[in-house]
Amino acid sequence: METILRSQEMAEIKLLPVRHHSPACARQVQRVIREWKPRAVLIEGPVTACSLIPAMIDPATKAPFAVYYSYDDTAGAVSEEKEKYRCYYPFLDYSPELEALRTGEAQGAQVAFIDLPYGDILAASQEGKGMRQEGDKSNYNDDYLLSRSAYVRRLCEKTGLRGFDEFWEKYFELEGLSQDSETWFGNLLTYCRQARESTPPEELREEGCLAREAYMARNILEKARELAGASGAEKGEPEARNRILVVTGGFHTPAVAQRLAEPDAPEGGSRGDAAWEDLPKKLVSAKDQGVYLMPYSMEAADALNGYASGMPFPGFYQEIWEHVQEEEQGEAGGKTEAARQEPAFLYLPYARAVMDMIVGTGKAVRRAEGSASTHDEICACSMAEGLAALRGKPQPGAYELQDAVLTCFVKGEYNLATDEPMRLLRRQMTGKRVGELCQNAGEPPVLQDFRARCKQYGLQTSTTLENEVTLSVFSKKKHRQISMFFHRLLFLEASYARRVKGPDLQTGRDRNLIREIWKYKWNAQVMAALIDASVYGGSVEDAAKGLLTERLRKAVYAREGALLLTQVLEMGLEGQLEQVYGRLSELLMSDMDFYSLAEALRLLTMVRQLRRLYDCGLETGGMIQTCVRRLLGLLPGMAKIKEEDMSRCMEAMKLLYQVIGRMEREEPEDREAEDTLLGSFFDALLLMDGDGEIQPGVHGCVHGLLYGGGREDVHQIEQVCRGYLTGTREQLLKTAMFFRGLFYGAKDLVFVGNTFLGMLDQFLKQIGEEDFMQLLPELHMAFTYFTPAETDRIAETAAGFHGRSRRELQEQEGVPEAWYLYGRELEEFAMKALSP
Amino acid sequence: MDKQKLLRPPVEVRYREELKALKAADSGKRPENWQLSPRAVRTFILGSKTPIEYEGGSVTVRKKYFGNDALVERCIITLAGNRGLMLVGEPGTAKTMLSELLSAAISGVSTNTIQGTAGTTEDMIKYSWNYALLLAQGPSREALVPSPLYVGMEQGLLTRFEEITRTPAEVQDSLISVLSDKVLNVPELGDEGILFARPGFNVIGTANTRDKGVNEMSSALKRRFNFETVMPVREVALEKQIILNEVRSLAAENHIDMPVDEDVAGLLASTYHELREGVSDLGHRIDSPSAVMSTAEAVSVYYQTMIGGYYYGDGSMDVDSLVQNLVGALSKENKEDLGRVKDYFNTVIKDKASKEGGLWKQYYEARKWLK
Repeated sequence: METILRSQEMAEIKLLPVRHHSPACARQVQRVIREWKPRAVLIEGPVTACSLIPAMIDPATKAPFAVYYSYDDTAGAVSEEKEKYRCYYPFLDYSPELEALRTGEAQGAQVAFIDLPYGDILAASQEGKGMRQEGDKSNYNDDYLLSRSAYVRRLCEKTGLRGFDEFWEKYFELEGLSQDSETWFGNLLTYCRQARESTPPEELREEGCLAREAYMARNILEKARELAGASGAEKGEPEARNRILVVTGGFHTPAVAQRLAEPDAPEGGSRGDAAWEDLPKKLVSAKDQGVYLMPYSMEAADALNGYASGMPFPGFYQEIWEHVQEEEQGEAGGKTEAARQEPAFLYLPYARAVMDMIVGTGKAVRRAEGSASTHDEICACSMAEGLAALRGKPQPGAYELQDAVLTCFVKGEYNLATDEPMRLLRRQMTGKRVGELCQNAGEPPVLQDFRARCKQYGLQTSTTLENEVTLSVFSKKKHRQISMFFHRLLFLEASYARRVKGPDLQTGRDRNLIREIWKYKWNAQVMAALIDASVYGGSVEDAAKGLLTERLRKAVYAREGALLLTQVLEMGLEGQLEQVYGRLSELLMSDMDFYSLAEALRLLTMVRQLRRLYDCGLETGGMIQTCVRRLLGLLPGMAKIKEEDMSRCMEAMKLLYQVIGRMEREEPEDREAEDTLLGSFFDALLLMDGDGEIQPGVHGCVHGLLYGGGREDVHQIEQVCRGYLTGTREQLLKTAMFFRGLFYGAKDLVFVGNTFLGMLDQFLKQIGEEDFMQLLPELHMAFTYFTPAETDRIAETAAGFHGRSRRELQEQEGVPEAWYLYGRELEEFAMKALSP
Repeated sequence: MDKQKLLRPPVEVRYREELKALKAADSGKRPENWQLSPRAVRTFILGSKTPIEYEGGSVTVRKKYFGNDALVERCIITLAGNRGLMLVGEPGTAKTMLSELLSAAISGVSTNTIQGTAGTTEDMIKYSWNYALLLAQGPSREALVPSPLYVGMEQGLLTRFEEITRTPAEVQDSLISVLSDKVLNVPELGDEGILFARPGFNVIGTANTRDKGVNEMSSALKRRFNFETVMPVREVALEKQIILNEVRSLAAENHIDMPVDEDVAGLLASTYHELREGVSDLGHRIDSPSAVMSTAEAVSVYYQTMIGGYYYGDGSMDVDSLVQNLVGALSKENKEDLGRVKDYFNTVIKDKASKEGGLWKQYYEARKWLK
């Protein structure tokens, strides 16, 4: 059989190589356990998860779910940075590991996980390798080991398949339908050996594989001794007594087998033996390790959503798994012979799933745009069958399904406008299912804290209906506390509550509001998000603090730091203000991005205004000063910006002017310093003005601000304006943008005599119809800064230039009634003449 | 047909040995009236590493279409079904070549073709008359001049319709009923005027999506076709391979005895690839020219330079004339394109010249011809 290792006196050990998500694999594992009836089933997975097994196989627990592992590196075992780590081990109904747990338990076998605890795997891996790869969500699943080697690439080239997943489907999933366990696992093992041989050994060490394999082998041996010790007392079938089935990722199977075959395996984990040097010398503290079950979703389990490994299309393979299980039961009940008489699409698992998906996609396409017909579906089914035959596959699989929908449903060139059917198919193949956990699944402290708080504040967590609550945050203490709680949850990305109304400090919108209105709703994702956040702390407040510390450390721009500051205010984490202050001051000094600094300045000024309201004792004056000085240093370089940055740049300039002006008004005693600030601001503006290639909008704004600060008079500006107007054609066309900047900087200029309106009038006369239409948006923008009354005044003046009054402008000549009557008559005549 | 005497012999003549060998070795099931089984058709187009034993010798089937094997498989299955096949895509993506290969392999002829133009009329698609005979005998089968579509239906052959979107929409629509009912009515012939298509008949259309002056297809016609979008080759190495293959066979056909320079092909492939994708392999962002940057264009630039070198030069690839030909190929659409290519030389090629030297340096120095 595939791999049997006999340590005669102890036990009979059988190693099954698996791929983590695979219906064929799950079915074969199920068969082996049923037929071979092992005493113990050992599964790859951190040993810390053993306590979760009863909850995992509870009938009330519905896949997909994931085991969540966290590790808080307080001891610095992984790196000196002492970071926090987490990863997921997703289980689907067709995961062979879950099937091994379920069937093993049903057969009365002992079931257990045997891999290193999560923290120790991390400690055994090099930075950036294996489970320490950088990424949003790390996965315990290591199927990538099977698919990345050069061997696989050559194999795919040779077989004319598009990649590992298609290769796997053809040779293991589809072929596996008709193979017995022995052949199937034999083929898989051959494949795994090849994949392993083409991976360099140093890479295996760096990724922590060797340490894990040594640990797993040791655990298997220990189990064998334990069974051997116990077997004397028990009665029963002598062969079945000591049978151990080991289910591990195929990549590890050959290595584990080799270790087990070594003659002198150490007693009870003795150290020092050269062959076992890969075993970690010392395990990390168990108190830093967390392990919980969490509901998972098909979307998250879909490899192509970016979580690196696992088989793609979980929705599709879930359906396959269900059909395969029906078939298995059918065989037991002897129904198959009759079924074989029917067309393939009615009984073969893949063909059935492909047809279901084609029909489902057709339905979805009709709902979305209404253009897929039943004939399209028929064509797609026969295309899928034809392709399977051409490619030598016994049934059409996921790739034939995709090809069939692409060919038969997409009309015209395949591009963003026509790929709707493919997107709908993709969604079906991913599946929508979300898992559920049984009652006694165990909860991390943060989730318990969450429930306690909800109870304390009288918030619903038992229904999934949406509730609304209005909070007077600035007058009632309890309301402020609830608001802080909601904000902390938002920060932790738990989608429990959302604010529908209320002051928004991040965008600076609605700051005049004194009440917040929130809608909140309990759902399984809240639980998943909180479990996800549990690595940061044991309560909602602590978790928010922990995440804040990490975000602060990762922040690069002053903008990010200032945003975090506003969030700290909303979350009511006064204790963290010092920390934010320190980091933000650093960021303000190191940030080189003008716009990020300007955004930080805006937020800081706002925090300064609001500090009493939010009980914030933080002195922001110093930071604002730093920010202003940094901005002044960068300002002269902002003359030659791209057109799309124009409004951001103008806003920043105006804000800078306002903040400096306010500083002067508020603290006039310190004359010297203010003089320098305001002075250097205008110096910077003059420097920008001197730049020959200055962007016209910014140019206008510079002059507007200079005029506002009394550094320039109308005539000087007029001259610059004439420069554009009398310039070459291209310069002439830039006048519109110049005006926009000018009016943004100082809109009262328009009302100083008629000079500027006159010039604008002249400009409009100079350009042709086509140019006018092109410049219209820009001109429109230039006049948005005015109030309606001011616009009226401008219109009046403009009308005056052409000898019209404002009244005349507003009047329109009416259409005489007779014209309408004539039109109607004409139409009736025409209708009569046209109708037969 | 003696293939030496034709400027460009059709596919079935060029690959006569391969087709014969495949047919002899073909054991797969064939749809009625197909010359080869679907699997053998696939092998003919996508090639096979193992040579076929045929008449004492062995024939290796070369890969003729690069880039997307799954697309070829879908095309074959579509043609075996009851819908037509429509190949759409940018110019120069080998749509026509693919349709020729398919019809040569399936029907044994690639020349049963309607060439669509703005002046194509309905009688060019269906049938017209030999007026002398028509006057002499009245309407009869002898007096009828069959169109390629007529021939295809009558004999169970594939009919190719090139550039279908160039023909006016109402003319395109005359295909609708033929494709759905597989019947062509010739009322002039009375009771004998109904032509039922024989098995093996189907239509392969090709259509451009980027050219000016194309007519949108009606949705009724679209429903009768399965569409395949042929994308430009996305890998530089593959593009280089295509350039080499194509230039080699062009040179052989025209008796130009000159080795093909792999480095120059690589240079050209990378230039076309980067200009098309808008980003260089060093990470520069590039403004893409509006002209068509297809592999077919790259082949013709290479081949022109090759002819120049063979007849006028010293029998080697001259980088200066390569750049001149590049200018010629690029200045079709508008003047700005040339500016973009200049920018490309002044940034990307400059960096590559200083990094890699050699040919890239020569290439960079030849930028003086960009005007």
